[in-house]
Amino acid sequence: MSTDLLQALPRSPGVWAQAWTRLKNDRVGMVSLGVTLFFIVLVLLAQMGLVAKDWQKEVGTPFAPPHIVGKIVDGSQTAVIDAIAGPSVDMSDVDPLAPRYEEWKKRAAEFKATITQKSDTLPLGGDQLGRDVLSKVIKGAQVSITVGLTAALFATLIGTILGALGGYFGGRIGDFLEWVYNVFTAIPYILLVFALAAVLKSGPLAGTLGSGAWTVVIILSLVGWTGIYRLVRSEYMKHRSREYVRAAEAIGASHASRMFTHILPNISHVVLVQLSLHVVGFIKAEVILSFLGLGVPIDMVSWGTMLSEAQTELVQGKWWQLVAATVFMATFVTAFALLTDALRDALDPKLR
Amino acid sequence: MPSGCMQLNSQRHGLPRRFAPRNDLNQEQAMNPLISVQDLHVSFRMSKTDTVEAVRGVSFDIPANSTVALVGESGSGKSVSAMSIVRLLPENAILGQHSKVLYNGRDLLAAPLEDMRRLRGKDISVVFQEPMSSLNPVFTVGEQIAEVLRIHLKLNSKQALDRTLDLMTEVGIPNPKERLKSYPHELSGGQQQRVMIAMAIACEPKLLIADEPTTALDVTVQRQIMDLLAGLQQRQKMSILFISHDLGLVGEISDEVVVMRNGEVREAGSVQRIFSAPTDAYTQALLACRPRLDSRPRRLAVIDDIVNKRPLCTEQRVAAPITGAALIEVKDLGKDYLLKSGLFKRSVFSAVKHADFSLYKGRTLGVVGESGSGKTTIGMMLTRLTEASAGSIMFEGVDLAQLSAAQMRIYRSRIQIIFQNPYASLNPRFTVGQILIEPMRIHGIGKSEDDRARLALELIEKVGLTRDDFGKYPHEFSGGQRQRIAIARCLTMKPEIIVCDESVSALDVSVQATVLNLLLDLQDEFGLTYVFISHDLAVVKYMADEILVMSQGEVVERGSAEEIYARPQHPYTQQLLGAIPRGLAAAV
Amino acid sequence: MFSYILRRIWQMIPTLLGVILLIFFLFKFFGGDPVEIMAGLKASPERIASLRAQLGLDKSVRQQLWVFVQQIFSFNWGKSWTTNEAISDIFSSRLPATLTIMIPIMLLEVILAIIAGLAVAYVRGSLTDRAIMIITTVALSVSFLVYIIVGQFLFGFVLGWFPVQGWSNSVWKNLITYAPLPVFLAVLVSLAPQTRLYRSFFLDEIGQDYVRTARAKGVSENTILLKHVLRNAMIPILTNVATGLPGVFIGSFLIEVFFSIPGLGREIVTAVNRSDYPVIQAATVYLAALTMVINLITDVLYKFVDPRVTLK
Repeated sequence: MSTDLLQALPRSPGVWAQAWTRLKNDRVGMVSLGVTLFFIVLVLLAQMGLVAKDWQKEVGTPFAPPHIVGKIVDGSQTAVIDAIAGPSVDMSDVDPLAPRYEEWKKRAAEFKATITQKSDTLPLGGDQLGRDVLSKVIKGAQVSITVGLTAALFATLIGTILGALGGYFGGRIGDFLEWVYNVFTAIPYILLVFALAAVLKSGPLAGTLGSGAWTVVIILSLVGWTGIYRLVRSEYMKHRSREYVRAAEAIGASHASRMFTHILPNISHVVLVQLSLHVVGFIKAEVILSFLGLGVPIDMVSWGTMLSEAQTELVQGKWWQLVAATVFMATFVTAFALLTDALRDALDPKLR
Repeated sequence: MPSGCMQLNSQRHGLPRRFAPRNDLNQEQAMNPLISVQDLHVSFRMSKTDTVEAVRGVSFDIPANSTVALVGESGSGKSVSAMSIVRLLPENAILGQHSKVLYNGRDLLAAPLEDMRRLRGKDISVVFQEPMSSLNPVFTVGEQIAEVLRIHLKLNSKQALDRTLDLMTEVGIPNPKERLKSYPHELSGGQQQRVMIAMAIACEPKLLIADEPTTALDVTVQRQIMDLLAGLQQRQKMSILFISHDLGLVGEISDEVVVMRNGEVREAGSVQRIFSAPTDAYTQALLACRPRLDSRPRRLAVIDDIVNKRPLCTEQRVAAPITGAALIEVKDLGKDYLLKSGLFKRSVFSAVKHADFSLYKGRTLGVVGESGSGKTTIGMMLTRLTEASAGSIMFEGVDLAQLSAAQMRIYRSRIQIIFQNPYASLNPRFTVGQILIEPMRIHGIGKSEDDRARLALELIEKVGLTRDDFGKYPHEFSGGQRQRIAIARCLTMKPEIIVCDESVSALDVSVQATVLNLLLDLQDEFGLTYVFISHDLAVVKYMADEILVMSQGEVVERGSAEEIYARPQHPYTQQLLGAIPRGLAAAV
Repeated sequence: MFSYILRRIWQMIPTLLGVILLIFFLFKFFGGDPVEIMAGLKASPERIASLRAQLGLDKSVRQQLWVFVQQIFSFNWGKSWTTNEAISDIFSSRLPATLTIMIPIMLLEVILAIIAGLAVAYVRGSLTDRAIMIITTVALSVSFLVYIIVGQFLFGFVLGWFPVQGWSNSVWKNLITYAPLPVFLAVLVSLAPQTRLYRSFFLDEIGQDYVRTARAKGVSENTILLKHVLRNAMIPILTNVATGLPGVFIGSFLIEVFFSIPGLGREIVTAVNRSDYPVIQAATVYLAALTMVINLITDVLYKFVDPRVTLK
């Protein structure tokens, strides 16, 4: 609608604009938003390889403590790895390879060997192999958070579409979808996760999905859509008999129009809150799965793999990996959870 | 004071008032009222920064042994004022510093909570509007009545049981011994309200606060509960604070009337004076805006008219004559619902059985009945929002009941509907402009988007709103304004028939009149045919030319509006007419 | 009542069939080749052929499905692929350990949640309420793993109050020595989410009209909370307990893994790691059936908790 006539008329702010205004006044909400955005930026940077790219490099001595703790002086670690000298005993008379040593020494000298200078302390400490914990925790953030977000997005998509169809149409379609829902929810959550993990681990798909985190994303989406389906379905059932939808039917609007143009905008705030809740749940689930070895593959790091290493490290008195992973995860999850609460309040203040 | 439209007592339907108003409130009683509300201010904290003032400086007295009515429309602050007496306000309520509620010489607003707790249920008790949700669903009715006896009168179980049975008999619950063990959901609305009243009078309170006790009930049940309350008041010599939006109802049992609007008292006085010589414009408007049973003015008075002292219209409205064949002929219309009962059985519930009627151009058919009568279902079937199980709807030679959804779409623009709930019938996420343009787009009205926008703006102004409202959302409007938007939405498609399904029932009396006037103006201008469905007999008589009376799915009587009201034939129609509140009747 | 139960059992059949089909086809088409898993990659062709015959893989898919169904209904599941133990033996020997841990956890969880929820509902809106909400939010953001790792380390290793791991054959000894630490940690972790949940149950009820009526009758706030509200809140509480009941049988697998408790949960984790399909399939199907039975019992129990419910 773009005539000068209409442009001259005042427009009231819509639901999202109003929610944004309310959110801006919520101090806790804005702080949570800030922290969450900070993490998202970190994740994007890690994704693009600008940060924490070389997390696998062993840049420190094994179990290097954090800077604040200081160097551990017990003579068990050396900072520099000496070049290996040749054999200490001359066995050239019985050694069949003896004549070739000179030749090989000359050839070896042509290769440049880098001697890594290993640090005694690292910003947040090092793990058993001397890898930088800070890089690991950032990379782990990238993996855990993207897995959580992607899985939540897929689960929400599946749940919303199925819930809309089931709730709006009812009848045969609704009954069929209810049957599918019943089948999926009859199996306890954890068992379904395990069954899927077992199958995807050793089955023919293991190869194609090998590129890491996709297995976890698929597992979590296939198990997690049920909650959102239930909610969206009940919302659609509630709204389809509301008078504004009957009015839409009375003026001749089509089914698709009623489902997506009329009803969906009225429940989108509910779906958004569900999405956020699932992000938190899925991040925690991924961490546990990776801990058990059923999550991301061994060549990737996630907060879960860090925690599994931390278990044995703790007994040896090395606490920094545990603390780093826990603090980063707790900060993000708390911020995100508080943001979700603030969002829920901003979208519907009566729900307080 | 304008004449002609003002007398509320109608000689022809003059049923005498049940109990004569008290003329003998002597000086002493007036000087020492039971309760004295003084300068009450109540605000609500909506968020960290907003507060909304609901009651602004309200003062009134409640004498002993009399009924005081607190009358006002929604948002007037009447409920909040009454609840302040017993301090039953929501947690975000803030009382004014200088507000006082005096009882027996004490200020209840300053009393400690423990004292209030002792008063509640014993000296002052409350009956609420929605009995179903006000009763605890998991305890039996007997337990809930006995609870108040045990707390205040310290009776043991046996004594409490006996007294409970007595109370249940007193409030007219049949088979009290069996009903003792019933749960609230097993009782009808009227019986639930009787239980609430039993709980309230159990300890013989000095004051009973009744907050819209009959609003949620059918008209016939309303009559019974009103009689019960009036009888109890006389027998127990207690005072009643009766809150309502219905001045006619209130006129029947109250001695004093307090009229409130927007958190303030507009007028207060004895019931005789208020009804015969109101001084405040708003009170006059409340009395005048209701459609009356004995006249059909061309236009109803609205608050605006009264405030500006415009002469009220006395010219009677003439019904449009029947010209030509019927626009729609409905024969043998029926709707059955299948219910599952038992393992394999199915029972049939008939919402509508064998309904016949015809609609003529420019005329209004009224459909009247209580809840469950099937009147709404008829409207739903006419607009094909519900599929008919039997019967035919003939329109221009086509049976609308047999058309497929695609075929029906073409006819949809010609038969439209306005729903009851103005808060639910507009999509909260659409602006007014979007609401009006959508139907035009669907039916191909208007040559371009600009054209449609221009048409929409015209219609907005025609229903009494302004062009600036085009970009606003429904929540920014009041109930009456939203109904206007709904009417405008219908008009975009230039329909021939509009079904008004309880379209004014959810609106305040003063707003009802404006919407009814609008509907009549539009009918004159466009020659619209209305099907006017309502439980409110006075409104239906005002609007309709011909009336169908429905009870339990069947049409029990039909006739012109005058015939039905002058000579009702069917016993149900007579019962319905007898239940209409008349207000103050004949010279008392 | 009887006809209701019959009708419900009738309605459960399609769901159970669905579960069986889902599990069968999931493992058949997405799972690895059982022969490969059992025999390893370097098996001889004769071994492979004999294994195929043994596992019934030489039959058609429809016949295999039928065998699967028969096995389920006759409770004969064959043997584990890794330990060759009869699967029914595995279940029956592991279940007691799981129950020894989970039943105390479930009981303590519910009782503590009701008390905590009531207490927080009592002080609603106050500073204490808001502080508790923030504390629970932060507590929820720390992974379960961290609680167990730190808890095991602190109470077992450092302070030595409880054994770090272990299990015995006597139920009594288990309850007194080995169970307390895992039970304590599990209940501690559940406290945050359960308190929030039960708080919302109680607050929902407090906002209802019947509470206003009770106040109007002069009932004290304590009686309102402990009699009126609690009784009504039993309805969502029953739902919550029933939802968690199937979990009691699976056990908290993390607890069992960490504390080396020979329960069903740990068994399943091990089976997943070793691709021991029969164990996982059996556990899934039986627990699904158990869940459906629990749902039915719960629905019948609703009748006693909520008088408005009519079983049709």
